[in-house]
Amino acid sequence: MLRAGALVALGGAAVPLTGCDLFDGKPKPPDPLEPLAAEAADLAGRYRAAIGAASTLADRLTPIADAHQAHADELRRVIGRPAPSGTPAAPSTVTATEPDGLLAELRKAEQPARENAAKACAAAPAERVALLGSIAAARATHLEALK
Amino acid sequence: MTPRTAPTGPGQALADALAAEYAAIWAYGVIGVRLTGAARTAARSAEAAHRSRRDALILQLNDSGAQVPADQAGYALPYPVTDKASALKLAVEIEERAAGHWRAALPHTTGADRNQALAALTDCAVRATRWRRTAGVTPITVPFPGRSA
Repeated sequence: MLRAGALVALGGAAVPLTGCDLFDGKPKPPDPLEPLAAEAADLAGRYRAAIGAASTLADRLTPIADAHQAHADELRRVIGRPAPSGTPAAPSTVTATEPDGLLAELRKAEQPARENAAKACAAAPAERVALLGSIAAARATHLEALK
Repeated sequence: MTPRTAPTGPGQALADALAAEYAAIWAYGVIGVRLTGAARTAARSAEAAHRSRRDALILQLNDSGAQVPADQAGYALPYPVTDKASALKLAVEIEERAAGHWRAALPHTTGADRNQALAALTDCAVRATRWRRTAGVTPITVPFPGRSA
């Protein structure tokens, strides 16, 4: 008799991209944290783009870019599946070219992101809530750091 | 100050958060006298915020029938607080510690209690960021507020 762990491993190896259930073949519904993971990766890209546009901001923005990337990585780990294929994310861009405009753009992106993380925290099961709380709090500190 | 361990249930999680709030209120008394100007005002305002959290927690624990731990008469400082630098260092640490307890309380909460715990965690994280900036510590943010490094 196969152990459950072996079945899961086989299923994962056979259909790694579609995430089909072993027995009924239906695709698994997307994880509710997918949008937050995509948003974290997008924010990391925006900060990197801002640093590329104004290198004087590098010291200030690099730790925040790294934090968003760490959030994206941790959310991906908790979701336990690779990012869904077939929906390539739009490249993260910034339009401003001078520091004040770039900081304003980043503030505008962080504000709704902070609210999204707080909503996810409110709706999450107990095992995910501490991570989501830290991400919501981190985004609030980013807004402070952008002042 | 004792090291933080994972709470065993909702009552314990909130009691731990209350103990951290008591300690923060006491610490700000020590911190405030070493600061001047805007920093002293910020310390007073932080102390008031921790008092509000303390009062809300006492009500919450009372309502749930849980044991409400009493405040201590005094606390042992981790190092002497004799000047602005040591006061700011303690302010950062006290906020990080309170953030840790509120984060640990989150999995034991639902609904309005969870929103309150998240607001408390967020406020502590933002104050820690402001104190780091005042102290000239960089970076002024941490990736996962409330999580032990």
